[in-house]
Amino acid sequence: MLATATPPALHRRPRKRSPAAPIRRLGLQTTPGRIRALAAIAVLAIAGFYIVANIAIGNARDGLRVIGHDAGPQVLATGDLYFALSDMDSQVANILLAGREHNLGTRQQALNRYSQDRATADRAAMQAAELSANNPIDQATVRSVLDRLGQYELLASRAMVLNEQANHPAGPPPANVIAIYRQATDLMKLELLPPAYNLTLEGGATVREAYVAKRAAVLSSRLWVALAGLAAIAALVGLQLFVAVRFRRLVNPALALATLGLIVLSPAAVRLLSGEAAQLQAAKVGGFDSILTMSRARAISNSLHADESRFLLDPGLADTYSLGYLDKSQTVLYVPSGNLSEYYTGLSAAMKAYRANPRTVSFVGFYGEEARAYPGPAVAAVLSRFQQFQADDQRVRRLAEAGDTRQATMLLTGRTAGSSGYDFDQYDKAVVSLIGLHRETFDQAIRTGDRELGRSILGNWAAVLPLAALGAVILVGVGVRARLKEYR
Amino acid sequence: MNRVRATVRSRAGAAALLALAISLPSACSAGGPPSIVGEQSLRIGVKADQPGLGLRLPDGRFVGFDVDVARYVAAKLGVRPDHITFVPVTSATRETALENGSVDMVFATYSIIPKRETKVTFGGPYYVAHQDTMVRRDETAIQNVHDLKGKRLCAVAGSDSWKRVTQELNIAAKLVPATSYSDCVTMLLDHKVDAVSTDDLILAGFAAREGSAVRIVNAPFSDERYGIGLKKGDLAACEAVNRAVTAMYLDGTAAALLHKWFGKTGLQLDTYVPQFEGCG
Repeated sequence: MLATATPPALHRRPRKRSPAAPIRRLGLQTTPGRIRALAAIAVLAIAGFYIVANIAIGNARDGLRVIGHDAGPQVLATGDLYFALSDMDSQVANILLAGREHNLGTRQQALNRYSQDRATADRAAMQAAELSANNPIDQATVRSVLDRLGQYELLASRAMVLNEQANHPAGPPPANVIAIYRQATDLMKLELLPPAYNLTLEGGATVREAYVAKRAAVLSSRLWVALAGLAAIAALVGLQLFVAVRFRRLVNPALALATLGLIVLSPAAVRLLSGEAAQLQAAKVGGFDSILTMSRARAISNSLHADESRFLLDPGLADTYSLGYLDKSQTVLYVPSGNLSEYYTGLSAAMKAYRANPRTVSFVGFYGEEARAYPGPAVAAVLSRFQQFQADDQRVRRLAEAGDTRQATMLLTGRTAGSSGYDFDQYDKAVVSLIGLHRETFDQAIRTGDRELGRSILGNWAAVLPLAALGAVILVGVGVRARLKEYR
Repeated sequence: MNRVRATVRSRAGAAALLALAISLPSACSAGGPPSIVGEQSLRIGVKADQPGLGLRLPDGRFVGFDVDVARYVAAKLGVRPDHITFVPVTSATRETALENGSVDMVFATYSIIPKRETKVTFGGPYYVAHQDTMVRRDETAIQNVHDLKGKRLCAVAGSDSWKRVTQELNIAAKLVPATSYSDCVTMLLDHKVDAVSTDDLILAGFAAREGSAVRIVNAPFSDERYGIGLKKGDLAACEAVNRAVTAMYLDGTAAALLHKWFGKTGLQLDTYVPQFEGCG
């Protein structure tokens, strides 16, 4: 259509305004030549609009895919994996601590939870492996976690069998049991938990990068889409005017239809992009960031709870586990404190101030961030449950210090109201429901973003855009052809 | 006719340029806070007086495990070895050096502890050491950290190791101030302190240097996660160094470096990717 042979020159311009040689060779001094040139510009402008809009919408689609369908869900799956693994080790510690005192009622419960955790870990690992289908390193990492989990289970069951044979009262088991448990828990701590946690973090990093890059690209591309749309409209109007003036016709219907199409399409595309950027922001800032922070808080909390059990279980490493417990508590909720007793005091003071006025967030750490960003009953529930759990910990440690490891063990591993185990479960539930709230925000934003991309006034954007562009180009051809015929 | 095509091509070229202009922001991650990612050269804070970890030689070169890890990570960030400037830091100057920008990264036996995280963003840890205690060879009364009660313990300014003993574990040792661990070792040998308690990797380096004059009691009581200190909020750098550390363990470099610097110390060396702290 563009590169047809130069038609015979009909309207020659006066010599003195003779155009430069290349323009003459293009035939621009003739009316059909000019029509062709203007039509070519219009077609290119439409193509330009198509390309620009397509890239911009592609950016939005990529952003939604990474945040909503790849890395985002990966964070949730690996978070579940970490929690299940960490909880397995915690349950083993509780079983070993309970000893022969099955009547504490905790042993069977702990065993049940251990096998539930195992199933959860399998499921979460499968899901994580599926989600990382296009990332061989992540996939290999997930596989290696599952391999090691088999080794862990062997060690854990050996420890439990030896523990059964030892038939000891509630409290620390004999040295041979502790030795095997140390191997198991070291394996967990060094080879199983780190890759799971790092996968969660890597998912978070991927989401952050995609968000920063894609949202900026979507926002800035709005200007380009608008400009490209305007350019296409201007080219069409220019062609229309030229034809109208030259041929003394009012409206060229085909060109008018093409123009109308672009007048509708360009602002719709810009609006779509604004909407997509807003959904990306809602998903990332309103949903994902807190999901990640709270998943980490949940993982670290499970690990510190297990440190409490291990502190009782392995007196030889009691210092290590106490210091680990303090570090992890401070990671979750930081109040300035040099040791555990200062931490309990600082926590009480901070919570008192918070309850008096939820705007007084005098603490930092994961919960400090969350309490500042999303004040409300959900975070308040998490905080009060956390405080209750810490108060239980203080009682457990007091009993242990006084030498009453049996009472300490019962308080720690109990699953009935008033026990530390029960309060920890309540705390964990509060965290899970807080994650659930952010999950709703996240899912909603991703769904809206997907839906808007998936439909426009006329149907799916991916289909509408090329069809509309092609249609406009055909209309230009149709509109121009009739006029050019007059020169044949 | 060829000219027509040429014109069409050049216009298509213009459209392509426009398209490129749109995709550019995504290529250079616009919109994020300033980051050291993409810098051609880096200033890296390391210790100057800790054998095995960060030690300045008489000719001015820095050597040690921390130095080698720093080189590896910097290379992964795309920085050429001759574009790294090592800057000596002490336990007391690490935060300030990062805050005032006199260093870009710190690899200086820098334990990740929540208090520090209020001022610094930590990449890593690239290794998890354990706190232990070093005494003179003839000292028999100190078998674990609790035996430090009533003993003179070296307290390095800016270090948290002595706080682990006297504050966190509430063990009433008598603190004797010092400016660095090499000071502490000198004071130990001069009978000015009875014990030096800090990370096993640090102690192992000094023990190797002092030979039979000192002894490590081998009763570790904490996990010390060696982080990569970064300016607070540089998330892009944090994520990049974490990927570098992962690669360092997966390609065997970490194991090789650990054996190179600590293979003869008898310490149990862990060669698995540590659990990262997280950047946010």
